[in-house]
Amino acid sequence: MLAPAHAAVAPSRAGGTARAALPWLLAAALALVLPHVVPGGFGLSLLCRMGIAIVFALSFNMLLGQGGMLDFGHAVFLGLGGFLAMQAMKLMDAGAWLPLPVLPLAGGLGGLLAAIAAGWIATRRAGTAFAMITLGVAELVIAVVLLLPGTFGGEEGLSGDRSTGPRLLGWDFGTQMQVYHLIAAWAWGCALLMWLYTRTPLGRLANAVRDNAERVSFLGYDPARIRWRVFALSGLFAGIAGGLAALNDEIVTAGTMGPEASSAVLLMTFIGGIGTFWGPVLGAVLVTFLSVALSTITDAWQLYSGLLFVAVVVWAPGGLSGILKAHAPLLRGGRLRGVVPGYLACLPGLVLAVAGVGGLAELAFRLQAVRNGASPRPVLGMALDPGAPWPWLVALALLLAGALLLRRTAPAARAAWQEASAASAVP
Amino acid sequence: MEQATLIVLNSLVYGLLLFMLSVGLTLIFGMMGVLNLAHASFYMLGAFLAYTVSVRLGFWAALVVVPVMVGVLGAVVERYGLRAVHKHGHVAELLFTFGLAFVIGEVVPLIWGRNPVPYRVPPELDFALFQVGANAYPAYRLFMMAVAVAMFLALYLALARTRLGLVVRAALTHPDMVGMLGHDVPKVFTLVFGAGCALAGLAGVIAGNAYTTEPGMARSLGAIVFAVVVMGGLGSIWGALVASLLIGFVQVGSISLDLTVGAALGRLGLAVPGIFTDLWSISIARVAPVVPYLLLVLVLAVRPRGLMGTRSA
Amino acid sequence: MTALHASGPVVPVAVSPVVVSPDAVLAAPGRAMPGPATSTPAASALTVTGLHKAFGPTRIIQGVELSVAKGERHAVIGPNGAGKSTLFHLISGRLRADAGQVLLDGADITSLAPHDIFNRGLARSFQVTSLFPKLSVFENLRAAAMRAGGCGLSFWRRLDGYAPLRQRAEELLHGLGLERRRDTLAGNLAYAEQRALEIGVTVAGGAHTILLDEPTAGMSRAETERAVTLIRRVTEGRTLVMIEHDLGVVFGLADRISVLAEGRVIASGPPDEVRGNAAVRTAYLGAAAETLGA
Repeated sequence: MLAPAHAAVAPSRAGGTARAALPWLLAAALALVLPHVVPGGFGLSLLCRMGIAIVFALSFNMLLGQGGMLDFGHAVFLGLGGFLAMQAMKLMDAGAWLPLPVLPLAGGLGGLLAAIAAGWIATRRAGTAFAMITLGVAELVIAVVLLLPGTFGGEEGLSGDRSTGPRLLGWDFGTQMQVYHLIAAWAWGCALLMWLYTRTPLGRLANAVRDNAERVSFLGYDPARIRWRVFALSGLFAGIAGGLAALNDEIVTAGTMGPEASSAVLLMTFIGGIGTFWGPVLGAVLVTFLSVALSTITDAWQLYSGLLFVAVVVWAPGGLSGILKAHAPLLRGGRLRGVVPGYLACLPGLVLAVAGVGGLAELAFRLQAVRNGASPRPVLGMALDPGAPWPWLVALALLLAGALLLRRTAPAARAAWQEASAASAVP
Repeated sequence: MEQATLIVLNSLVYGLLLFMLSVGLTLIFGMMGVLNLAHASFYMLGAFLAYTVSVRLGFWAALVVVPVMVGVLGAVVERYGLRAVHKHGHVAELLFTFGLAFVIGEVVPLIWGRNPVPYRVPPELDFALFQVGANAYPAYRLFMMAVAVAMFLALYLALARTRLGLVVRAALTHPDMVGMLGHDVPKVFTLVFGAGCALAGLAGVIAGNAYTTEPGMARSLGAIVFAVVVMGGLGSIWGALVASLLIGFVQVGSISLDLTVGAALGRLGLAVPGIFTDLWSISIARVAPVVPYLLLVLVLAVRPRGLMGTRSA
Repeated sequence: MTALHASGPVVPVAVSPVVVSPDAVLAAPGRAMPGPATSTPAASALTVTGLHKAFGPTRIIQGVELSVAKGERHAVIGPNGAGKSTLFHLISGRLRADAGQVLLDGADITSLAPHDIFNRGLARSFQVTSLFPKLSVFENLRAAAMRAGGCGLSFWRRLDGYAPLRQRAEELLHGLGLERRRDTLAGNLAYAEQRALEIGVTVAGGAHTILLDEPTAGMSRAETERAVTLIRRVTEGRTLVMIEHDLGVVFGLADRISVLAEGRVIASGPPDEVRGNAAVRTAYLGAAAETLGA
């Protein structure tokens, strides 16, 4: 082989660290500014939800995107962490000296212990078997929680008061603004820790296990052990998210750890993009926002998020962050212009198809309302009669027209994309 | 004595119903390596569609038409959805079927509402066949069993005696080899997926009126079906039958038992632990719904191949 | 010619250049023999006795006896379906043997898990390239060196902080000639580059006994030559057991050859001996021998 001509070794430490720290400083600044920009209590409460979702989704992606493990019951760790944090809050309410900011640690402990236990069983297997075990374990835990009303409060769950703790610098954390800062600080800290984890040996080995577990075993590590550790850490952070939720809502129920929550985190993480670190953050913010915003104008928002999820699985498995990341080289190389016409050409078809689907869904909902005796809400300001055939036909026509248009325009867009990305590919 | 007879009869009915549901799932998994998380959703669709069709055209029309509808839907989903995802691996396939189950779970209440629908047993079959002590045993239950057995026989004959069945059986254990022998394996996959969904739909037609037809039925039955399929062995029809009957018996039997968990432990000669006192005073009937999940977890952890499986999960 | 000792420090031998055309290989002398062919178990790196493996009714391995001396370069050849890869799977722990024993440096590794076997100093490559497609070339090599680099499953230290690991990965990167592909994802490499990385990943952990499964499969002449030089370099001072179909490679590289046919070793010895073995010629080299007019 060629005589080694050593290239320069890694870039200087100082410069590299500063560049890496920049996004984190920006994020911190953003977190401090946002509550003053966003309208009122509603916006603040939304931001709090987003903060919790960010931690939860990032913990989920430690398993899925980074470790190749699909966990169908991740909300169990959120819930159990929440319950433990709530027990701590009740202790605080009863007079124990427990500063509120410390309570998420109790959540983390709950999530960690639960994940160690569940992980011991689940991580013996990989792939589909692992996913099914997590499904079974989650249902078991929920069932047991409901069967132990003494510990978990039964159907009503456990509730507490977050403002009874010792004051910190005059704050009792009773107001949403104060809670927001607490959540934001914890979310920032957890995200940083989870990012640092990706730079550790365990983090890298988790990636290796994801890519090729068998080879990992032939390189001296037991893949099951690696998965177990990662699972435990993921449970830890999910538990912290649960603790934050307990603080925010001042109530934890069996529903907190139910399949709706587990589905939600899967959807938001995947839509955001499992292939990057920040994809889940994007997904958490977006899906939380959509679920809140959409639920005020339509009852079908769950259906829409489900359809979006399926669309992402089939056509864009890298999620939003994957799409953005794939276009970054085009942006840098100035080739973005080449794909824009193709994309714009697809837009009408897409809009029509979405309008068609939305129309059908909204009409169906209104039909339900009419059957139940209520009067139907107007769709986008238009009063539609779901009993008449013509709105249905229009919606169907929109859908078909959109689908046909997309079929016509998609190949050209795809070709343009392939050409542009091949040209800017790293040789 | 009558109670025992009732338990046996009901277990048989329930077990055969589970079998109808799980045989499609086990075939799909055995052949394609995909665990169709939306399988119970197709069952639910079958029940709801049967309600709508039977209201307009009668039960017997529904019995014939609805499985076909559900089967075609399944085939379309496989051809245009699952097949595209196949290349991204098993996790992606799971995510797709999960998304599908989610969407179907939203579409059904969208069309039919959130409450149970009045899907009734057809009047021709709505009579008491015989007496078991003081209870009248409905003829419809026997009809259900008959359909399940007929379905099993038809499936068995189709797989064992026809050329297509031979290809399907071969593809169950060696899909790549079958492809290399010149058979259109993707088309076989589509066929099997569609047939599996049709069977689930058929189960929905039969069972929807005997048990309730409501939007939560997919979720409650889903885990039990997975437990059956995993226990019986992924890819094994006999295993699905055995496991279905076993779990059917355990479910029905435990609901009828008038014991608490603690008392049951006592009868088995085990001591009751001191912690979690709430748990031991619960009746077995309340714990029963949890048992399939427990079985699912245990079997997967200890022996993923199940009792008679051809493929490990 | 410098004799190659079975144990002790190995002096690099660069005698006749490796010429890979069939005539030249068969005509030129092979590597110097390491002395008496029998290796005592004490000096043996790998000993396989009475190994059996069946899959249902099909018996793949039917009583394999194999002995590889320390520092030896040992080739395993044989017709397709003879069970060569299965043998590697049994030795490396991927499959469990039905009967028999595998000793590594005298210790019984027959029923150990693959990661335990690796930690005792045996590493293997795969016939079908087995890398981490979404990690870069550099990361692949670093991951492979982690265990030996004392990494463990730590989640509290930075991976970049392990300087010896980075150094080892860099060394290998240059040794493999893949510097320019440092940050390319392993899944995007050309085939021959992937095979080179496969070898690199196998030896990164510093194992003293290395199993290579058809390292030059699917390579062109030029690529094979480069691969052989690479293999020679990375296995200096180590024990090598190699499955190969390319007889040019085999005769140019191996100190001893074992021929596997129908699940058994039908001949084992220095290249000349094997070349001259009638049973082997008939069972395996027959057609090739005809064309070579030997």
